Amino acid sequence: MRRIPRRTAAALAAAVAAPLLLAGCGSSAAPELTVSGAFMPQPVSDMAAGFLTVENTGGAGDRLTSVTSGISDEVSIHRTEDGRMTEVDSFDIPAEGSLDLERGGNHIMFTALKERPEEGDTVSVELHFETSDPITVDVPVKAATHNPEH
Amino acid sequence: MRKKHLPAAAFLAAAALALTACSTGGTDASGTGSAFEVSAQPKTKAATVLDAPYTKPDLVLTDTRGESFDLRERTKGRPTLIYFGYTHCPDVCPLTMSNLAIAVKQLPEADRDRLQVVFVTTDPERDTAEELASWLPSAGDPSFIGLTGDFETIQAGARELHIGIDPPKKNPDGTVESMHGAQVIAFSPKTDQGYVFYGEDTDADTWAKDLPKLVKGEKP
Repeated sequence: MRRIPRRTAAALAAAVAAPLLLAGCGSSAAPELTVSGAFMPQPVSDMAAGFLTVENTGGAGDRLTSVTSGISDEVSIHRTEDGRMTEVDSFDIPAEGSLDLERGGNHIMFTALKERPEEGDTVSVELHFETSDPITVDVPVKAATHNPEH
Repeated sequence: MRKKHLPAAAFLAAAALALTACSTGGTDASGTGSAFEVSAQPKTKAATVLDAPYTKPDLVLTDTRGESFDLRERTKGRPTLIYFGYTHCPDVCPLTMSNLAIAVKQLPEADRDRLQVVFVTTDPERDTAEELASWLPSAGDPSFIGLTGDFETIQAGARELHIGIDPPKKNPDGTVESMHGAQVIAFSPKTDQGYVFYGEDTDADTWAKDLPKLVKGEKP
């Protein structure tokens, strides 16, 4: 009978315990992002808005820090409050939560559009995060009045 | 004896560590009230009939042809909708105008001719008569009336309709933050008073349903 050295046994126990407990949390300790419901209302001028939901099923929060797109060199993210939109540096995407950009609320703003996409077109948009790798989204262009809330 | 207990102790230590990590995550999730702030937008009921109707503001501004437009005189006895917004508005202003445009197109021609949809800019410095003339037909309908002028005059007119707008704010980086009104106010052709207001989430179907009544000065 060989005795397992104390240290090895302790390490083993920890190694067994850690993944078990992490699994018990129901999520990993890193953000896990998925994007859904993206759309751009057909622009009526040389500016456009983008809306989408970023869901985070991970155990750690993340932040949407910027958005880039070939359609505009000036893409920013805005908070809307009482009829005023203010540019923000980032949006929180809480662990096991979501960031909802929706009509009448927070949104992505594209200014000085290089072209005016029309309903039925698709606009490629890259989302950049504090922690997670960038996500490229093919954003469908919908009617100017499109509002999935209704 | 002691040696035998060590692996168990290590297991517990690891467990405690993992639990700590886990509960920290939990605190983050519940502590970020911003998650709810981000998604929770106050939703206004579409139509609100006013107990105490508003008097039509005595506004004399400049229309999309660059000509003087006396709001009271020009819209007297006609069903009128007034909205305060700005053209560098990516979402709500064009959405409001587009929804209205869809509904207006469904009206019988006689009603369409009588109805006055008035867009008053909250950002007159950028929204010149020419700018409004190019934006309104695209965002809304060529029949819509666009008005610009002195900001203080516009702000005072909006205030009479209980719509608060602040002057556009210029940021150090050159961007401008403007404000739009939260409501569209409907004025009766019978009384020339503002008797119903609509929240900014009013969709085209609601407008299509209510406009035939508003054109007659009836309650929706």
